[in-house]
Amino acid sequence: MNAICSSIKLIPSNLSNLGSLRNYAFKSDLKIKWTKPEKIACFRPEKSGDLEGMPDIDKSRYPLQFKNCKELENADENVKRLFSLQFHRRSQHTNVYINDMMDQVRRHPMDKGSMEARIARWTGAIRSLQIQMDVHPRNKKAKVNLKELIEKRNKHLKYLRNWDYRRFEWLLENLQIAYKPVPSEYERVSRKGSLTKLTQIYCDNVVQERLDTYREQLQEEQPKFLEEKINTLEFLQQEQKDCGVEVTITQEDIDKVKEKLKVLLEEKAKKAEDLE
Amino acid sequence: MALAAATKSLQLIGECVPCVKQNASKFKIKRLELDQHLLMYFRKDDYIFAHDPEKKCKTGDIVLIEKLPEKLSRLITHKVKEIVYPLGDVTDPFTGKNVVAGKFRDQIDKVNQAYGKLPTGFDYTKAPKRGWQEDKKDFSHVETYAKYHEDGKDQPYSV
Repeated sequence: MNAICSSIKLIPSNLSNLGSLRNYAFKSDLKIKWTKPEKIACFRPEKSGDLEGMPDIDKSRYPLQFKNCKELENADENVKRLFSLQFHRRSQHTNVYINDMMDQVRRHPMDKGSMEARIARWTGAIRSLQIQMDVHPRNKKAKVNLKELIEKRNKHLKYLRNWDYRRFEWLLENLQIAYKPVPSEYERVSRKGSLTKLTQIYCDNVVQERLDTYREQLQEEQPKFLEEKINTLEFLQQEQKDCGVEVTITQEDIDKVKEKLKVLLEEKAKKAEDLE
Repeated sequence: MALAAATKSLQLIGECVPCVKQNASKFKIKRLELDQHLLMYFRKDDYIFAHDPEKKCKTGDIVLIEKLPEKLSRLITHKVKEIVYPLGDVTDPFTGKNVVAGKFRDQIDKVNQAYGKLPTGFDYTKAPKRGWQEDKKDFSHVETYAKYHEDGKDQPYSV
């Protein structure tokens, strides 16, 4: 019994030595190198679609609450300096920046709640928080806030796109946001899956390359073929005339082929000139 | 089963979805399929390719498509007849006025004028046609994918 079992066990290994195909654990011979993309945090500008960051705010400006203050206009230089942004918190800078962002898209001076004004407000807040995250990467509250803001903005951009497409595009241009929808199907990035896709791309490229070379080869043969065609047509026409049979090949047919040949040769000469 | 029913009918209404084909657009046809066990209808989407040489259908448009007498290719069985509802450009069928979400555009304009209109606001008369931000800042016309390979090149459609 043991002898039979051992002989059965031996069979597959013998088969594999003979060169049978292995479907499992198959390793491709192609030299495709896969580099896993580095993970980018969801709140980074590359992911959130912010094409611009928050600029430095002019420190001689006043915070929002003193923006239209009449007393400050005639005040002493030192008082003006003390009331400027230079001696205020970062949050006041952010408020000024958010107001600037909203000013870019306001419908009327009182506009705070329109779709574009809200998106501008969130964009200002997002860009300010993104700077904060660089400085304090372990600030979890800011991180959560930022992620929620980005997702809210994306959701409302999606709505605006459905309601008013042209306004949506205008807003993207004004606020410098890139809008990318979420992929329809979630797919985990894996080594095997990526290599399958890369192999497919490689094979497609090989097919396209071969098709292109074949096309070029045929195009090079075209003038020669057309000359041969003209000769054959002329010969046949002459034969038909000589034999007294109905002439089916007209001069027009031959002229057409000649015209085609002429155009082809001209194109070829042009290409050669361009290369030089 | 639903696909067979979809291909039988001559005219269909579908939603345009992103597609890389150059002379055709892809359409999502919504159908309701009966579940024999539950005796309930469930949504089932079929996808159909329609001939559209000028690519006038944009993603999200609701389009009327018509069956071709002969198949153009293995996939292309229909042609585009009419764009019924372009995305993001809603017109109220009763009054014929343009609508944004729940409000008429002229009503919004009147409110703006009452408060004092600013030049920074969006102006429909000056705005270009849809599609001028395609591939620049708006990437909703293509199917995006999670980035799976770092090849040193810029991959605009990866997320």
